[in-house]
Amino acid sequence: MNGESDMALAEQVEPGEAAEAPDAAEHPDLDRLEATAEVDPDLFAHASDEPPFGRRVLTTPLHLSVAAESSTNLWTDWNGYTTPEILTSLDDEYRVLRHAAALGDISPIVKYRISGRDAGAYLDRLVTGNVMQLSVDEAMPVVFCEDRGFVVGDGHLFRLGEGEYRLVTEETHLAWLLDSALGFQVRIEDVSATLAALSLQGPHAAAVLNAAGFCEIETLRPYGARWFDISGMPVYASRTGATGELGYELWLDPEDAPMLWARLFDKGAEFGIAATGFALRELARIEVGIPRAGCDYLGAFTAVDPADASTPFELGLASLVDLDGGHFTGREALRRLKQREPRHLVVALALDFPEPIQFCAIERDGGIEGIVTSSGFSQALGVNLALGRLRYAASVGALAVGVDFREGLRVRRLKIPARLLTEPAIISPLRHTVPAPLLADY
Amino acid sequence: MERHDAIIIGGGLNGLTAAAYLARSGARVLLLERNAALGGADASYEIVPGFTIPRYSLGTSTLPARIVSELDLARHGLRFLRVDGGVSLLEDGGYIASYRDGAIHRRELARHSLKDADGWTRFRRDMLRGAQQLRPLLAGATGDPTRRSFSTLRRLLKTASRWGEKDVGELHDLTRLWTLSCADFLDDYFRSDAVKARLASDALAGTSLGPRAPTGARHLLGAFIDETAGASGGAPARVLAIGGPAAIARALGAAVEAHGGMIRTEAEVTDVLLREGGARGVVLANGEEIQASAILSDLDLKRTFLALFPWSALPDGFVERVGRFRMRGVSAKINIALDSAPEFQAVPEGCPALLGGMRLATTLDKMDRASDDWRDGIPPRAPLIDMLVPTLADPTLAPHGRHVLSVAVHYVPETLHDGVWTGERRDELTDLVVERIAEASPGIRDRIVALETLTPPDIESEVGITGGDLSHGETTLDQMFFNRPSPALAGYETPIRNLYLCSQSVHPGPLGVGNAGANAAALVASFLGKRG
Repeated sequence: MNGESDMALAEQVEPGEAAEAPDAAEHPDLDRLEATAEVDPDLFAHASDEPPFGRRVLTTPLHLSVAAESSTNLWTDWNGYTTPEILTSLDDEYRVLRHAAALGDISPIVKYRISGRDAGAYLDRLVTGNVMQLSVDEAMPVVFCEDRGFVVGDGHLFRLGEGEYRLVTEETHLAWLLDSALGFQVRIEDVSATLAALSLQGPHAAAVLNAAGFCEIETLRPYGARWFDISGMPVYASRTGATGELGYELWLDPEDAPMLWARLFDKGAEFGIAATGFALRELARIEVGIPRAGCDYLGAFTAVDPADASTPFELGLASLVDLDGGHFTGREALRRLKQREPRHLVVALALDFPEPIQFCAIERDGGIEGIVTSSGFSQALGVNLALGRLRYAASVGALAVGVDFREGLRVRRLKIPARLLTEPAIISPLRHTVPAPLLADY
Repeated sequence: MERHDAIIIGGGLNGLTAAAYLARSGARVLLLERNAALGGADASYEIVPGFTIPRYSLGTSTLPARIVSELDLARHGLRFLRVDGGVSLLEDGGYIASYRDGAIHRRELARHSLKDADGWTRFRRDMLRGAQQLRPLLAGATGDPTRRSFSTLRRLLKTASRWGEKDVGELHDLTRLWTLSCADFLDDYFRSDAVKARLASDALAGTSLGPRAPTGARHLLGAFIDETAGASGGAPARVLAIGGPAAIARALGAAVEAHGGMIRTEAEVTDVLLREGGARGVVLANGEEIQASAILSDLDLKRTFLALFPWSALPDGFVERVGRFRMRGVSAKINIALDSAPEFQAVPEGCPALLGGMRLATTLDKMDRASDDWRDGIPPRAPLIDMLVPTLADPTLAPHGRHVLSVAVHYVPETLHDGVWTGERRDELTDLVVERIAEASPGIRDRIVALETLTPPDIESEVGITGGDLSHGETTLDQMFFNRPSPALAGYETPIRNLYLCSQSVHPGPLGVGNAGANAAALVASFLGKRG
């Protein structure tokens, strides 16, 4: 049935075949917590006997836990998984993020386990940054390009062990990862379905985790990560997240996820923990100005019009490109591209307009110079923030965004002045504080 | 003597489209069809009373959306269904389906290869790119690029400057797409043989090319011509006309008549009246003469010139050139009436992709061998078998609970190396195909109410298409675009004044049936308009 040929160098493993588990000796399987939440194992990993057309979207192992928190019943589709859009109200969830601790199920995110003797060298060749400098239990933001220097995808790379890494991305890249693996002793597995992930973001995040048994979580530095043993559940916690807040992401076995979720709620109640949805995640990344693959930019293998593909410089990810280090795919092309003027830029804009807008034209002097790709209203700043793609030559001077919106049964066409933002609209000072605050004294 | 502005010879989808456009433009139009039913190769019939089935084609023909809306065919009763792309049954008892939904399609590919699920993204991107470049060429004549006219030169310069702006890599990709074989091209994206065979058979069914024949890869674009980047990322949808392709013919016929055009069936044209080097009218089999200012032929190139004209009236060398146009049948048709729904063991119950058709156990190697058999003039020992159950989408085509099974058998040669198609050989082919169907659907033999097989020569004698070639001429690159059927004829005009071609023998051929009719009609309408 499976048409795969055995590749000696780059292997591919079917999901479920090899669940990512921490080293057993290091994390003995202690007595598990009594089950305090339900999980249907079939909910997450696609059951092999269920035909693909059986369900349009799948559910994560936390689906029941998350659904219990929903008062809106608003759901969306994230990478083929049912994800809450809004659980209570976006305003309330935003308050939780900026003033307490916002818990989200980010299991639908794509995760690859990359291991083997050449894993480090392989990844160093794959991504534009210097992977050799990454120490064990550390993460780094990465971007990877094809040989013409156009971005295939971006994400975070975690080093879990000497020859073991985890690449977390927004979109799937298995074909490119395997094609790039020729000549390396490396094993690449898609562990998206066998690894659950939680995001806990907000000023009280460390306090909640501390109360839940994550000892000395406050000492974790930004982009640091560590294994924790929470009542027998091995949990890998990293100080990462795309919110501009103090925040952590927790990686663990799907079977344990509902128990950890319940435990965080239990211990975090006094710190104001609340569950939040995808809309908040989007709003938070727009406030920080982080473009999302497939939304604010198109990967080189997705863009039907080649002009829609972007270089890392055009995405504002120049800091992730190390042209002076070792060789990586696309380095020569990027060297040349760096000398050249970018064709377009992904920019953050502030608009004095009270509603989120979608797919609006960015104009200058009456001509269309770009497109708004995502936007959200920041209640903290009282402005509408947007990410968009703008022709490079137009990235100076006065910009406007043309919006059609409905007023009764009429269309009102507005030209809203837009300001280019050169730095994140919101970024919490706690993001870089070590040790992270454990009390509500920020 | 009867007189019209335009006579259209042949009531296939292109002829009907041309007639409808001309009638809409105000011309007095007469369409003449030899058979009793409209539709030409897309006509339906009742195999037994109450069971309607496309007689010659599989039943997946459709019309470009532009034509459907311009001719307002919805008002004439035409309705479409968008369904999934179909299912291929595999030799090992498994199956592979094509789903429109991106998430489901990826999971389907992942059952065969996790890597291929991801390879689909890049494959789809390249197909959409190719389709985008192909699309503008379809609606409108392609001028001969070697013709030294100002407009040709301008168009060439425009194309050249557009290509000058393109990335070199993109040019390389494009070259690969237009020159490689299907198998070589697919190797660049996929690993699973099932995935590759599924895509290659989708592309090549109905052509004489095997998966390893050079230039086959461009046929992969066919399914993506109407696909947009905004769709959910799955396989292209299959669009079925409710009631089958014959319903398209009926709606077009209604459109012709609504605009005052006339249609006569069972009216076979045997000659074109010539006067002063131009066509002036037609002669019917019963001797009746009808005059018109313009004659459009929906017959294939060979039949048009070799059957309707005294060869001596044609320019020097023309008969020979027409004779060299390659038209060779590749498909036989088996029509089956069933007393209950066919079941395919390999496919899970409720699989929505079944509506788009089923293809029987195919591997690239088998397709290759079948294509060799076709070339050698041997009935294929392992034919490519395409099936459609039109009654799944439109139950009214058969009595309640009963079904029709439309089977297209590909790589069937028109002429055999050791003789002709006899009843006995036709039965051998039928037995082979039914045996293969029964392997996938045990018990189907007991459900067969009626069965009829048509070989390419049968199709030729009934529809009149030379060689029984449903695509009106091979679709290899040397017979496409400005070369279809030849540089001088690609613009729908012919050496005979007032005679135009509007069949699939002219550009764009089977790439969007109806386009040739619409393009030819536009040309004739402007000619009639100038004449006043």
